[in-house]
Amino acid sequence: MSLILSSAPHVRSKANTQRLMLNVIIALLPSLAAGIYYFGWRAALVVGVSVASAVAAEFIWQKLSRQKVRVYDLSAVVTGLLLGLIVPPSAPWWMMIIGSFFAIMVVKQLFGGIGDNFLNPALAARALLLASWPALMTSGYNIGKFADATSSATPLLAGASYMDLLLGNVTGAIGETCKIAILLGFIWLLVTRTIRFEIPAAILGTAALLGWALGYDPLTTVLSGGLLFGAVFMATDYVTTPMRWEARALYAVGVGIIVVLIRKFGSYPEGVTYAILLMNIAGPLFDRIPMHRIYGYTKAKKEGK
Amino acid sequence: MSEKKPNVGKVFLNGIITENPTFRLVLGTCPTLAVTTSAINGLGMGAAATFVLLGSNIVISALRKIIPDKVRIPAFIVVICMFVTIIQLVMQAYLPSLYESLGIFLPLIVVNCIILGRAEAFASKNPVIASAFDGLGMGIGFTLALTLIGCIRELLGNGSVFGINLLGAGYQPMLLMILPAGGFLVFGLLLGIINALTNRKKGDAK
Amino acid sequence: MKATFRGGVHPAHGSKRPTQALATRDFVSDTVQIVMNMNIGAPSKPCVKKGDHVKVGQVIGEPVGFLGLPVHASVSGEVVAVDAIPYLTGDMVQSVTIKNDFQDEWEELHPLGNVEKVDPAQIIPAIKAAGICGMGGASFPTHVKLTIAPGKKCEYVLANGAECETHITCDDRLMQENATRVVDGLRAVMRALNVSQGIIGIEDNKPAAIAAMQKACQGRHGVRVQVMKTKYPQGGEKQLIKVLTGREVPSGGLPIDCGCVVVNVGTCAAIADAIIDGKPVIDRICTVTGAVRSPANLRLRIGTITEDIIGECGGYSTDPGKIFFGGAMTGMCLPNDQLPMAKSTNGIVVFTKEEAVSAEESPCIRCSKCVDACPIGLNPYDMKIFADAEKWDVCKKKHVMDCMLCGACAFICPARRWLTPSFKIAKQKIAEQAKKEAAAK
Repeated sequence: MSLILSSAPHVRSKANTQRLMLNVIIALLPSLAAGIYYFGWRAALVVGVSVASAVAAEFIWQKLSRQKVRVYDLSAVVTGLLLGLIVPPSAPWWMMIIGSFFAIMVVKQLFGGIGDNFLNPALAARALLLASWPALMTSGYNIGKFADATSSATPLLAGASYMDLLLGNVTGAIGETCKIAILLGFIWLLVTRTIRFEIPAAILGTAALLGWALGYDPLTTVLSGGLLFGAVFMATDYVTTPMRWEARALYAVGVGIIVVLIRKFGSYPEGVTYAILLMNIAGPLFDRIPMHRIYGYTKAKKEGK
Repeated sequence: MSEKKPNVGKVFLNGIITENPTFRLVLGTCPTLAVTTSAINGLGMGAAATFVLLGSNIVISALRKIIPDKVRIPAFIVVICMFVTIIQLVMQAYLPSLYESLGIFLPLIVVNCIILGRAEAFASKNPVIASAFDGLGMGIGFTLALTLIGCIRELLGNGSVFGINLLGAGYQPMLLMILPAGGFLVFGLLLGIINALTNRKKGDAK
Repeated sequence: MKATFRGGVHPAHGSKRPTQALATRDFVSDTVQIVMNMNIGAPSKPCVKKGDHVKVGQVIGEPVGFLGLPVHASVSGEVVAVDAIPYLTGDMVQSVTIKNDFQDEWEELHPLGNVEKVDPAQIIPAIKAAGICGMGGASFPTHVKLTIAPGKKCEYVLANGAECETHITCDDRLMQENATRVVDGLRAVMRALNVSQGIIGIEDNKPAAIAAMQKACQGRHGVRVQVMKTKYPQGGEKQLIKVLTGREVPSGGLPIDCGCVVVNVGTCAAIADAIIDGKPVIDRICTVTGAVRSPANLRLRIGTITEDIIGECGGYSTDPGKIFFGGAMTGMCLPNDQLPMAKSTNGIVVFTKEEAVSAEESPCIRCSKCVDACPIGLNPYDMKIFADAEKWDVCKKKHVMDCMLCGACAFICPARRWLTPSFKIAKQKIAEQAKKEAAAK
């Protein structure tokens, strides 16, 4: 008889990295479907190229650097999917390839691969694309159901009804417009315990409050642009958020504040990308603030004082 | 103090490859990042710095036994200033467009740490000939690095190298590359690649 | 509202637990091998030799040192061997093997009688003489725990009936079948320490045990049952104290530093047996489950060989891949099935070959599930980085010494990182270093 000897614990929970990533992918499907419904198959092409090149980039890098190939953990698929959903529906294919390769190779793998990237790869790639080809990244919304619309889109549409905003009957990035689809994904992530509600709730709450204080309609603030998508899918990215829940809350409040400040005072129409990227960098610092109580240390502190 | 006579050829190559000021010593990054938006700018900046390096190294080396230790830094600066002023006036007269595009970074060569660093680390301790070759080597190394970065940024950001369009009219220029962020990106990636190559070489040697 | 603590996990086996655990039955094997290091502290010294005839309850191992406990024969018969065997940790341990003559001849016992009437001063010596140590798995000598250091005062005695570990149901059965003895034992401890409050904490997945204990508490002075939420590690000493009293054990301290003494319900029953019947620890209830044909709760004589126990449960249902004493969260693995169980063995779990395969470590994805799960409020992610780098002093600064190795972080980790084992090593290294420094001084 040969028995395995190992240290406790002998059981592990069912959730593993691959399953968590799969949950995120499932949560993104409604948004993808909505994007294809509104913008047509061009949108599907954009997302497809993005996902394929992200996976390819991960595979090539891991092969070249002689690492174990971990493409099957699906994290590259998530990155590609996220990037595909935050660009305009008529984004050229070569731009998506550059974006995906940048996200995976530069932002993720160069800093140590999964778990070690200090920025959200998809958002960093979007920032790169936006800075490189601003014209391509802020136009090209008028396809599919919006082929006849004459106005060029700004993500913060004045005068759109709540219903239009909710259903996604406004122009914008592929996955960001239909709020119902995003909320469906959010519910899935909560039900499967993939993410916790703190970060999205704090971001949206802060943005609504500050927006209201600065004279915006709170509900429109939350429903317009990429705020909801960013709050649910981008700001909750495991790697780039603080670990303690207190620090996570602080991080989320920071994102909410910066989003509204950029919208109000900045020269960009939309600030979610930069707000989250900025807080990604600040996140680890929040974990250093000793806000968390460790069991058995109350009395010692009082005595110390 | 006995001065060991350095191998002149080695000193020269040292500056270009093994101790490349930009990629190995990571000195003078301010002009490296700021002016390399095009290949010609990089080359111009490098050439200007090479001239100053050569001149200042020779003069400082020649004066190394006269300059009192306590005031050596001001003395070095005065020498460097002289050469910077010369190159500035020459450029203004003969290459006005390059002079325009280099702007403030040309006079700022005075405080470029490569030049002060070589004066302090090499010229003030070594004979004139060796110092001249050190200055030349370092200068050429700096020039090559700047030109390389300039080429990459110009190619990606504008589709051309030295003003010659290489990528055709259909190319959508990558604006980021001629913005400061692009400078950081290209510089960082090149540093990484060069480190990776050096490490691999070291690994092979073992 | 049901009391609970922050953090913790829900191991799947715990939630699937049958509400009516299997009834206990007796099993006596024809040979027992009794090891001498069943309690924390120096191993006892065997005081019988090969060929001796021993009676049940006869002392066969004498206590050594401050933490020492006597060891008693659990069957009557002939001593066939006194030798050293490698036990769970791999260290060689003295053991006494007795061939059972099935006469069940008992050594003369000295009962003290009713726990409410016995002289409180006699209680702790009786506990020591009976060889009682923590039956929940910790195996700390109970009489030492109950000897309160001068200047400290005990206000609560807590009976730990949480049984939060996976697989194990022995305490559940004990509370259902022998509720009065548990309360008697708790009362004995309360009287010995002159404490007026005794709380029995039970998780809400054991309704039958809760009902039985509530009934047994009726009319008894100062004892009550507190129902707790089912969550691992609810039965951890620190968590239990926090949940039942709202107090916290100071870092590096003992429960008595916050006025509490925690005793497992199994230990309570053993104390009651020792006082009412004068009976030393010669048997205990043990859950046998996993890949065996008919899982059971068995009342086993101390020293029963694992192979015999599995045989009593119908044998292995499939090729075993791993066997461990205790629950799946903290259990200790057995190198083979020839090892005997001890006083603190509350369960024997057999895993199939498939279940036994250890998951491969993959890169951390910083999901912070470990941080949320830690019942102490530590940051396992952070500690693991420094433990892997063997930076023990940094680990110490990150409070690795406060880690109680409950395994919650490793259980929840989606990247299957070996968090708890790393912290175990870190704790050992830091303790060794501290010892060396103390020796150097």
